[in-house]
Amino acid sequence: MGDMGILVTVLWRVIGRLLRRLGRGILLVPVAAMAPVLFGLRPWTVAAVLLAVVVALWRPVMAAMVLPVTMVVAGISGLVVAATAPGPSVNWVVSAIRAFKGSRVTLKGPLPGWTIDRRAGFPKSVKPVATPGPNSTQVAIKPSAAAQAAHVQVPPRFYGSPAAFVRGGQVPAAAPFPGKGAIQVQMKGGPGGAEVWMHRGAVIHPGGGAWPGGLLVPLALLLLTLGLWLLPRSAAALRAHTTGMFAYLRHRMLENRWGILLIPVALLGLTVFGVHPWTVAAILACVVTAVRWPLLAADLVPVVLIAFAIRGFEIAASWPSLPGLQQPGELYGVIVVTTRQLAMLAGAEASAFLVVAAWLVPRTIGAHARTALAPGRDLELEGRVQRLTETRDLAVDAADTELRRIERNLHDGAQARLIALGMNLRAVERMLPGRPEAALALVAEARETSLRALNDLRDLVRGICPPVLADRGLGHAVRALALDTPFPVDLDINLPGRLSAPVESACYFAVAEALANAVRHSGARRVHIRMQHADGMLRIQVGDDGAGGADPAHGTGLRGVEQRLAAFDGIMAVSSPPGGPTMIAMEVPCALSSPKTCSF
Amino acid sequence: MRVVVAEDLFLLRDGLTRLLAAHGFEIAASVDSAPGLLDALLEHRPDVAVVDVRLPPSFADDGLQAALAARQQVPGLPVLLLSQYVEQLYARELLADQSGAVGYLLKDRVFNDDQFVDAVRTVAAGGTVMDPDVVTKLLGRRFRDEPVTRLSAREREVLALMAEGRSNVAIAQRLFVTEKAVSKHTTSIFTKLGLAASEDDNRRVLAVLAYLNT
Repeated sequence: MGDMGILVTVLWRVIGRLLRRLGRGILLVPVAAMAPVLFGLRPWTVAAVLLAVVVALWRPVMAAMVLPVTMVVAGISGLVVAATAPGPSVNWVVSAIRAFKGSRVTLKGPLPGWTIDRRAGFPKSVKPVATPGPNSTQVAIKPSAAAQAAHVQVPPRFYGSPAAFVRGGQVPAAAPFPGKGAIQVQMKGGPGGAEVWMHRGAVIHPGGGAWPGGLLVPLALLLLTLGLWLLPRSAAALRAHTTGMFAYLRHRMLENRWGILLIPVALLGLTVFGVHPWTVAAILACVVTAVRWPLLAADLVPVVLIAFAIRGFEIAASWPSLPGLQQPGELYGVIVVTTRQLAMLAGAEASAFLVVAAWLVPRTIGAHARTALAPGRDLELEGRVQRLTETRDLAVDAADTELRRIERNLHDGAQARLIALGMNLRAVERMLPGRPEAALALVAEARETSLRALNDLRDLVRGICPPVLADRGLGHAVRALALDTPFPVDLDINLPGRLSAPVESACYFAVAEALANAVRHSGARRVHIRMQHADGMLRIQVGDDGAGGADPAHGTGLRGVEQRLAAFDGIMAVSSPPGGPTMIAMEVPCALSSPKTCSF
Repeated sequence: MRVVVAEDLFLLRDGLTRLLAAHGFEIAASVDSAPGLLDALLEHRPDVAVVDVRLPPSFADDGLQAALAARQQVPGLPVLLLSQYVEQLYARELLADQSGAVGYLLKDRVFNDDQFVDAVRTVAAGGTVMDPDVVTKLLGRRFRDEPVTRLSAREREVLALMAEGRSNVAIAQRLFVTEKAVSKHTTSIFTKLGLAASEDDNRRVLAVLAYLNT
């Protein structure tokens, strides 16, 4: 027991150190590794694990953020798989012990867990014959006449269906067909059964025995609990990461007129119609359409969704209810249909698809038809007008606020000082004949006041239009800004010309705000500013190595920048997870005029 | 001493020429635009030019550009720039050629005519004069640095005054200490910042500004 204790302590320390070095994100890998366990070794499960490894190593912060969601998804998937898997339900404690011990399973009598693919054309004539043995099971399978005609192959492979963990059977490479098309399958070891995979798509699971579903359920519940517990923690980080992203997505979505939606919808088709050559081809076609002809793609989205709905209704209406015969799962969207009840649920899902389609029809096909039928009404123009109305209101508000600020500033600053100056001079007038030395002191005071008034005005003008910006343009103004910043600023500015004055001003104050945030809040030690103009688009990035946590939703600074840029169709995205680093990216479409030629 | 004045606002130009004339300067020319300034500088070759940064035709930094252009043709031509604003970026460009005889002051500094005339004379003599505002910003940038934080409060005061272009005598008067005390401070500053000490006032200012500007 003492040795065990030491071992556990050492393991705990090693894991703890690994976690500290690699961050919580590395946990994404074992969680993603659940996918092949649950769904078998398939291209997509392997891809998921690889993706998890890549994300965990290269983007640990992002990995830590998606970890809870992944845990919840894995937990729910585990529960779904466990609930829909064939095989008798076994006390999980017993099964856990068996699995741990290496499990010698004996099968008793005809197995209840046979499942037959509904589409395969292997009807009830298939009857499993199991010979129980201490360590092996012989199964004889007799295909129907139709299936005999087909080439039947029994490769020793894992081919997961819903119960991917039902595996471990060893199948002889060249399975014999002893008489009348019967197949003999020899299974050895493993807590689950083996499975026989045939060309025509028949998937036969000799379930039974102790299935690791017993282990799966507690594991899934544990993951679910952990995931739910971690979820609120990462929600804040996720929000910080995605603020601005929503505006960006909405902007892009409106620009694309919903056409881009065709790609995810087409991918969803894989879960509705299954992976076939034609579904893969359809996805490729959809991607091309979404990129090249967004309007057509937008029209196709509701059409495809309606096709999904029809398929769902078909499943719901036609699912057989055969007592004693378990269907293998038929995946429909997020539901694996195995029983008639689940088929009804799939029907409900189909209705949901139909509702989304109905919502989209007037926005896509309807709108396009209106445009086509009513000349002069351009959809793009309509969207643009709406956006312009929004941004104009914001711009007017911003201009008004700015004017008020200037008025208040003048009133409290320069104006007040000039009044004081006037009063001083009046006093001097009166004192001069009688008390010239006192008058002299007042004159000195008056000069001091005029200096202060000048200072006030200077600060005010700097806030309206900084001198270097007016003189030399954005690039130099940002360089001057960097000089006034009390820590090193790496500049990478490629701006061979001038922008229009309002865009220059908006961008200047955007960079100034981002820099001021870095100085005031983040505790950064280095800032970098990248600025370049290409393809009619000015792109600015301001990043720092500070503590992060900048959020446009809180505080008016970044929000104001966003609104000011919006007036020029510009957008801003903020990525500032707690712990940093912060990256603020801005894009403003604008033209670059040729550099001002100097007369000297 | 012959001086060229460039200022586009009539009232200010008039005031400047009067002030300079009252202090014994000879006004070689007073102009109101950048091209006029360049012509006047190349024609008259004055002992010093007092130039407003913002001038016609484009009302940007034309005055600065004209002054820099003139100094390219006449190296070391003494130029004192006046502006409503002082910008580190412009100060940097003025100091870039390391040859001195430049000044950069806020227009407000004209209010104190003695100091202003001193500044004009310093620049004319090949010295460097920087506005206290520029120096404050330069020092602000440097405050996180190791060597500058090692300076005592008094040494920082002396450093700031040196950067403005003042001689040991002027610094001593300003801080009400002896000239010897000031020179002790300057030696200490140069040691702490790792700069090569120099007896020559002008070279000393340039060294300090170059250090602060990096």
